Amino acid sequence: MLSIENLHVTVEGKKILNGLSLEVPTGAVHAIMGPNGSGKSTLAHVLAGRPGYEIVSGKITFDGQDLLALAPEERSRAGLFLGFQYPVEIPGVNNVYLLKAAVNAARKHRGLPEVDAFEFLGLVRDKMKFMQMDESFLSRGVNEGFSGGEKKRNEILQMLVLEPKLTVLDETDSGLDIDALKIVANGVNRLRSPQRSALLVTHYQRLLDYIVPDAVHVLVKGRIARSGDKTLALELERRGYDWVSGEAA
Amino acid sequence: MSARFSEQYAAVADSLPTDVVSAERRRSAVEMLTAQGLPTSRDENWKYVNLRPLEKVRFTPAPPSPIDASALPPAIQGYERRVFVNGAGGAAPTQLSSPVGPDARFAALNDVFATGQASIHVTSGAACLELVFVATADAQAGASYPRVNIHVEPNARLTLIERHLSVGSDSNFVNSFVNVQVDKGATVQHYRVQSLGARAIWYDTLNATLTSDATYRVYSVGLGAQIARSTVSVKLAGERAETGIYAASVGDRQQNHDTYVVVDHTVPRARTEQTFRGIAGGRSRVSFNGKVVVRKDAHGTDSQQSLRGLLAGPEAEIDVRPQLEIYTDDVRCAHGATAGKLDENMKFYLLSRGLEPETVQRLLEWAFLEDVVARIEVPELRKQIEQSLDQELS
Repeated sequence: MLSIENLHVTVEGKKILNGLSLEVPTGAVHAIMGPNGSGKSTLAHVLAGRPGYEIVSGKITFDGQDLLALAPEERSRAGLFLGFQYPVEIPGVNNVYLLKAAVNAARKHRGLPEVDAFEFLGLVRDKMKFMQMDESFLSRGVNEGFSGGEKKRNEILQMLVLEPKLTVLDETDSGLDIDALKIVANGVNRLRSPQRSALLVTHYQRLLDYIVPDAVHVLVKGRIARSGDKTLALELERRGYDWVSGEAA
Repeated sequence: MSARFSEQYAAVADSLPTDVVSAERRRSAVEMLTAQGLPTSRDENWKYVNLRPLEKVRFTPAPPSPIDASALPPAIQGYERRVFVNGAGGAAPTQLSSPVGPDARFAALNDVFATGQASIHVTSGAACLELVFVATADAQAGASYPRVNIHVEPNARLTLIERHLSVGSDSNFVNSFVNVQVDKGATVQHYRVQSLGARAIWYDTLNATLTSDATYRVYSVGLGAQIARSTVSVKLAGERAETGIYAASVGDRQQNHDTYVVVDHTVPRARTEQTFRGIAGGRSRVSFNGKVVVRKDAHGTDSQQSLRGLLAGPEAEIDVRPQLEIYTDDVRCAHGATAGKLDENMKFYLLSRGLEPETVQRLLEWAFLEDVVARIEVPELRKQIEQSLDQELS
């Protein structure tokens, strides 16, 4: 599904990713862990195509396509979804409008007609119920006045509605209490299937108690320092990042 | 330039209705203009508007002309509509008070040549009215002088929709003068939509005076014209009077939209709110100057200004200026003014959800204007304005 080869990225001349290579097979959920400043969020942003990052060298293949050749909106339509660490508030653009516009953009890309407005609303309502979100959120501005937890749930709602092939979650667990964390994890697990993949970027192990990954990678100084199964996350939690950082140095 | 006012006035003086403006008042306006001339870009309050076309404009009024009702926007239920073609029309006009305000020269020009007037006098209860000013003539053939006089008596209520639009020719010269008197405890909701033709020139003067506990809210949406300048002066002359000035302006191509507002607090405990949202696209120039004067006796004044401009074209220009003149201590005056481009984080967020860049741009511009548009309390009008904005932004 996702293949990253020897990726080098700089931001304002500063090296952030230094030869990162990673394979996420179709149907797999991988976690990327790492200390602050290791390049985790940069990786998430680069995958989604955020401006401001210079790709010095390397290659990213997503579902058979050259990801770096696609604009951000094309990546989304091709089935890549980024759950933001800090979802943006957009007063004046309402949530349901955005959901519908996003779904229709993806459908148009696949040569499908626009969704039926009535059916769509029913589908969104079901998914909101699952995410334990009040229906009043639909008519509000995108993330406008939402609490931190509500914003994260809204990200997962968008993911459930868009049904991406690859979900990249950028520290979606940060700032969540345990109940919200469970709701978010349930959302991610609901979409888990042999056809879909996910890449979870996280600082802490606790998200992985609820979304059990197929593989865990530790990012240090812009490259994968160590990979393993879910027990690696537990070991990291016990021994701290210095353990891997020391080895990588 | 000075002799042209008297020459052009003399040419049409006999045909101008004296019940709209008396011959004596017309002559004194001619004298004033002859002595002072019209504003030029050297005047501080006029530096953001292009005044050069005035040098060759023919000021004499265009004759009335029949128009096809289908060319007008759909009527709004519950609102009595009055249509004025090239400023002419209106029954039994009453005299307006003489032009005042930061700059009365364009109002004086209206005094000289006005051919009609909408007189609105609400003595009690609530009235809903729509005034449609249609300009049909090319600027070379003659000008249009919309003229409105509003008087709302104590505790009465008026909701007024005022439109300026072009039919036939898109290069009109329009000079409007609106005078508003709001008595004790009365409320006026005033919606103004300027959607003149692409080459039209609009100079507008609006003066309002409020007595105690009066409320005057004016919502302006500027879409059309090549050059549009609105000069708004509100005098808060009674305690607890309240005014809201909400303006949205969308410039494109080489349009020049300029709004100059001054609110004068002369008494204690009055309130002002000013909200401006302007978008300058293409090579347009959009500006808003919001001045609030708080006089010595106006303690307890509450004034809020939120003025924001959005630069949407590489060669566009936007100027937003809050101006405060405060002569007393006990006041609350908050002001915020920003001018810039669309927020990159918002843009990326929407792109990352698969929306086209053009859609994202339009959506965010739309959202930007919502701070003004969402305040429009007449649902049908709001819908019409939203449709116009949608066309303008796409």
